[in-house]
Amino acid sequence: MEITRKVQAGTLQSSDLMIFLEPADALVIEIESTVKAQFEHLIRARIEAVLERHGVRAGRVRITDRGALDYAIEARMETALKRAKEA
Amino acid sequence: MVTELTTSGDLRLGQELVEDSGLRFEEGYDNLVGLYEGPELIACGARAGNILKMLALRPQAQGGAVLGELITELVRLGCRAGHDSFFVFTPPQNAPSFQALNFRLLVSHPKAALLEYGQGLQHYLAQKSILVRRGDNGALIANCNPFTLGHRYLIERAAAQVDSLYVFVVREDRSAFPFEARLSLVEAGVGDLGNVIVLDSSHYAISAVTFPAYFLKAGDSPTQIQMEIDLLLFARHLAPFFGVRRRFIGTEPRCGTTHRYSEAMKRTLAPLGIETVQIERKTAGDEPISAYRVREAMARGELAALESLLPATTLEYIHSKEGRQIRRRLAEDQRRH
Repeated sequence: MEITRKVQAGTLQSSDLMIFLEPADALVIEIESTVKAQFEHLIRARIEAVLERHGVRAGRVRITDRGALDYAIEARMETALKRAKEA
Repeated sequence: MVTELTTSGDLRLGQELVEDSGLRFEEGYDNLVGLYEGPELIACGARAGNILKMLALRPQAQGGAVLGELITELVRLGCRAGHDSFFVFTPPQNAPSFQALNFRLLVSHPKAALLEYGQGLQHYLAQKSILVRRGDNGALIANCNPFTLGHRYLIERAAAQVDSLYVFVVREDRSAFPFEARLSLVEAGVGDLGNVIVLDSSHYAISAVTFPAYFLKAGDSPTQIQMEIDLLLFARHLAPFFGVRRRFIGTEPRCGTTHRYSEAMKRTLAPLGIETVQIERKTAGDEPISAYRVREAMARGELAALESLLPATTLEYIHSKEGRQIRRRLAEDQRRH
């Protein structure tokens, strides 16, 4: 799928994350996290897995995370992608 | 659940909560949201463009998840309105609460901290990185509303003293001339100066118009604090990135605000290794050339008077269709006052 518009999903609460997607020429993933030093690579891997599953090759993905667990990252990402392709 | 406060009852409670928290309730916001516990409003906050303000929490709502809930809702509404990143100005002791929510501290001042949510500054700098030139560089920040022969003189004089001169045009659209027009008139007006780089300030020039003073105490000077925060933001983030060691400003002996600004500039920038250089304004008919003078003449329809104040490129714009519309608006504004 393609990211065709600017969308947002998630919250700023503890154990959650907020995701912003917008169209871009290449795939860019930017992660801010209160546990960035320890877990950035794991958050990135999880985001990439969801993008891969949906065949997303381009777009700007911005994450602000407050220690979300894997299933929360996946769920927020799925929601954001659904919104990004809604008309 | 956090909801928008819209009814007169909501607004009264919102104002009470803000004032009980030692803050001032400022009109002029896009959204005001709040959280009720039974009949009591326990938290509220507002958004004006990309600025979050008047965040107030009753003691029972502090230290938990409520601040995050408020900001989630304000960010959601702000994104829908087209904003990417958000600022908060707050007393310095509150900065850690925002940092815990992934806000980045941009400026710390004894009276106020400025934080940003959403990596806007990194993006702005990344976008401008192709414009970075090595050397002993200077900067000039101006609204150029519109670009005059005075600006041209200032830029020429400043450019002669440095390797590269960055001219930041203030992006904020609260001026008679729209941003895109102001920027392109500066570009057209200095195109022949090889070491001048014209760029937009994005949100990183804090103007007095949007600076929220809601959290300042009686006796604090909002104007002075706004100027100092603006200067610190420049000195800490823009100047090092562009290799700027000198900041230029035109003198205007008759304008009190400009004088205070240049004083604040010397005081604030010197300790951070940036020299303030003042340049005497160019005059026409014994008066300094200023954009204000241009707008006054436009409002009065004295187009012949503009010839000695403006370069050909700006004159051409003023005679264009867009320029006619601006003239009409200026004239209407003047009639109303």
